[in-house]
Amino acid sequence: MNTALLAAGGTTSLQPPGIYQGAANVIAALMLLLEFGMLRQALIRDQVRLYAAQSALISVLAIVIAADRGLPDLYALAGLSGALKVVVVPLVLRRLLGVPVDEDSPGVAGSYTLSPASAVLASIGLAAFGFFTFGAFHISGPAAPALALAIAGAMVFVAFGLMIVRRDVASQAVGFFSLENAISLAALVVAAGLPLILETAFLFDLLVAVVVFGMLIRTHHGRAESLSTADLTGLRG
Amino acid sequence: MLAVFLVILILPLATGVISFTVPARAAALATVVSGVASFALVLSLVPEAAHGDLSFLSGYLRADALSVIFLLATGFLYAAVAVYAVGYTRHHDATYARRFYAGFNAFAWAMLAAPLMGSLALLWIAVEVTTIISALLVAIGDTDGAAEAAWKYVLIASAGLGLALLATVFAYYAGAQVLGQHYNLAIQPLIQAGSRLPQTPVRLAFLLAVLGYGTKVGLFPVHTWLPDAHSEAPTPVSALLSGSLLAVSFYAILRFYQVAAASLGSGFPRDTLLAFGIASLLLASLYVFGQRDVKRLLAYSSVEHMGICAIGVSFGAPVALAGVLLHVMAHAAAKGNAFMGAGVFTVKYGSKQMSAMRDGMRLLPWSGPLFLLAIFALSALPPSGIFRSEFQIVAGGLGSGSYTAAAVLVVLVTVVFFGLTASATGMLLYTPGGATHRDPPAHRGAPRVPPGVRGEPSAWMVVPVLAGLAVLLVLGLHPPGELTDLISRGATQLGSP
Amino acid sequence: MSAAVPIPVIQLLQVLTVALGAPGIMGVIAKVEARLQGRRGPKVLQPYYDLAKLCRKETLAPEQASWFFLAAPLIAVAAYLTIPLLIPVLTTYPLPLGYMGDILGGGFLLALASFVIATAALETGSPYAQLGSSRAKTFSAITEPVVLFVVFTVALLTGTDLPYALAATVRSSAGQVVRPAHVLASAALFMVILHETGRIPVETHTGTNEFGMIEEARSFEHSGPYFALLKWGSMLKQLILFTILADVFVVPWGLASSQRLGAVLLAIVALLAKAAAVGCVVAVIDNSFAKLRLFKITEYASAAFLLAVLGVFTLYLGGG
Repeated sequence: MNTALLAAGGTTSLQPPGIYQGAANVIAALMLLLEFGMLRQALIRDQVRLYAAQSALISVLAIVIAADRGLPDLYALAGLSGALKVVVVPLVLRRLLGVPVDEDSPGVAGSYTLSPASAVLASIGLAAFGFFTFGAFHISGPAAPALALAIAGAMVFVAFGLMIVRRDVASQAVGFFSLENAISLAALVVAAGLPLILETAFLFDLLVAVVVFGMLIRTHHGRAESLSTADLTGLRG
Repeated sequence: MLAVFLVILILPLATGVISFTVPARAAALATVVSGVASFALVLSLVPEAAHGDLSFLSGYLRADALSVIFLLATGFLYAAVAVYAVGYTRHHDATYARRFYAGFNAFAWAMLAAPLMGSLALLWIAVEVTTIISALLVAIGDTDGAAEAAWKYVLIASAGLGLALLATVFAYYAGAQVLGQHYNLAIQPLIQAGSRLPQTPVRLAFLLAVLGYGTKVGLFPVHTWLPDAHSEAPTPVSALLSGSLLAVSFYAILRFYQVAAASLGSGFPRDTLLAFGIASLLLASLYVFGQRDVKRLLAYSSVEHMGICAIGVSFGAPVALAGVLLHVMAHAAAKGNAFMGAGVFTVKYGSKQMSAMRDGMRLLPWSGPLFLLAIFALSALPPSGIFRSEFQIVAGGLGSGSYTAAAVLVVLVTVVFFGLTASATGMLLYTPGGATHRDPPAHRGAPRVPPGVRGEPSAWMVVPVLAGLAVLLVLGLHPPGELTDLISRGATQLGSP
Repeated sequence: MSAAVPIPVIQLLQVLTVALGAPGIMGVIAKVEARLQGRRGPKVLQPYYDLAKLCRKETLAPEQASWFFLAAPLIAVAAYLTIPLLIPVLTTYPLPLGYMGDILGGGFLLALASFVIATAALETGSPYAQLGSSRAKTFSAITEPVVLFVVFTVALLTGTDLPYALAATVRSSAGQVVRPAHVLASAALFMVILHETGRIPVETHTGTNEFGMIEEARSFEHSGPYFALLKWGSMLKQLILFTILADVFVVPWGLASSQRLGAVLLAIVALLAKAAAVGCVVAVIDNSFAKLRLFKITEYASAAFLLAVLGVFTLYLGGG
């Protein structure tokens, strides 16, 4: 009696994916969680750290996909992307934000339009929308099932949410960089075979964008004596 | 021919790099030389491109009729504004001038490179580079407004380009299904493989491309950065932004349109462009009223014209497509003229607010009438090139059965005409102490120049406007044969894959 | 050691294991926490002595309190003792009384016990007790959606919401344990457990910090054997929640798959070991983080909710 009932109720579930797909899904889910983490973090220094962790995850995913599909190009890409986005970009950001090296000082906190809890709840809605929209396309690459692309879609929306909800230039910039991360995730899922030279060009382009963003943050900071965008209301109509 | 490509690609960048190190006058001269040379080189491409496509480096560098038309728009403005900038930077110090020229040349380089890229990925990179450089140029004037406008611009435009990157990724996915995993996003093979491409990714890619690149084109609802950036940038940069950058971004949309039309048929792409075009045109026509800042007014006019281009493409008839391509070139000339004229006014009266500008016809004997002519040209009065192009667009619309859309287009263009001329009349014909005391004198910073000092600030700022006027007249009255061939070839490429 | 234990005895053993083992788990956590802080700490069996001591003390009740005040601890303990019948404590196969309720039923019983205690505390009129009750109910309401979504994950994975079925599914292959949906649901459940058992970062379990108390405050007015019942009840709740986490989600191995005496005894030992392991993790967390300010508990709950919702989402498209 017992086993019969168990058999009737159990394992109507979907079969778990294979090792590589599972790893890709887990990494994508972790990246999404880090995105939410960035949403909740008050201190900009911690946001940058989360961004570095997210970029590290992208490199790991690139290695996983390279191992799964035998694309040696992706190993090089993983290394380059890791060096650039995990090391150089956070370094540049922290330098430009003038964050003190002394770890004891709390650093700069960003400002919100919504409280963190409400922001998370609103972003859950955004993520759901992105998730189901992208999932409905049933586009899947050979390396990862449709789930990873759906998670990338959710991440894109949450990154936009991050840019909307936060009211200071540094958080908005970090939001934009995590948007690039989300798009890189989608690219890895769907376009893993893109020639290396193009991917490298994308990466260097990102670096230049970081520098320019940093310069503009500096300009803003110099003018307004704060990082807040609450006063950027002069140009209207 | 490859040499021409390479020189076009290298010369402006080299000039930009040099401008950092040499004195300001030398940088100005170098920029003028570079601008005129680039334009001449682009002109030399016209006969070839009118009859065949040019492709080098296994397709990474490519110029067909469509590319050359956009190159012409950029090249002409590069040359004209380079001359204009000589007079403009006279009023600024050497460091500013050096930074300005470095950025200006780099900006022109990126915009010239984009239509020559034969791969969607490189196209994206070129457009992203234009964003980054122009953001720095917008911020170069050290005011609160410039800093605010630059931040909004870089954030919104980069986010939009992020969407465009996603579109490129999906285009790759679609292409890889047919052309193999190592497909390098070359445009031509993708168009040729059109009907075999899977439809959902192409649809998604096109929509994301219109939204993403449309951010840089200034389509509603992602146009919000445009009035701020175009009004706060230095005038030469505004001219290039409005005349060339919007066009280059529209070029990117057109490439995606080609792919989408080849794969999905013409229904969905045209409907999308029509929707965005009408919305942009409607927004612009409402916002040209009540503008206080002359450059902001012109920025909304740019939104209007980009909307017209989008609507023109959505009509699909060959004459409408030819009209769109002609419009790109004519708009570059007309908008360049308008901004250059506005710049003269700004320098003369010390303020961008139209309430501070009075009696322009008398005080600026050349720039006043030229500005009026530019405004008329933008409102599509004959015999300017824009009249010809909009006429062709409307004719194409009526011919292909889109009566409502064509009618809406005509009505809204008329509305914009009212808005533009009303403001321009105030600037040019009213005298101080006339019926304009309603306007408050408040404006940012600069003191009002006492009226009555008649004379042009600089001859350098008048000559390019004359050249632009000449171009408009030629385009409107009798476009050269080669150019017409080029346009009709471009229209054919757009119309049928 | 191959004697077959009759089913009713196993059922009884389930309840007895939980009932008698609960104070021991509490003692283990206290000991580990003390050791981590560099102290020797109390004896592992100290909670037993405490309960015994309390039973010998006199009972006092406030004047305004009614019979409910005295009945509440009894009802709560009765509810807590019923739950081990519903969840897999010792066996992989469902026992007869296990069909009395599913995972929602178990949650219902937990909520009943919590409600009863809170109402009894409200009855007393003591400010601290009322403070604790109102806070406890507010935060429980916020964490309810999380629990629901965790249940949904279970339901989506197995098609039922019998905890036995989920345990069987998780045991069926190694890949199941690392599924994103499963990991997310487990993480969300762990965060809820920290909240329900009154641990850091929600509340300090040791010492009486009046302004931060939520769970601890509700038992302020009880004394004597009733207080002992309340304390025992909270220990039972802790062990039950640990058991659900360990036996259903995280490590559903080591359960008896037959009725042999040896297997059953092994299962008892395994259960206590697993609960102790979870307790060690809780102790480490206790020592590593600071208590959250009360208004930040909503952020904590939203984070748990996020994990649970993502767990449900990732199941939808398959491969999660």
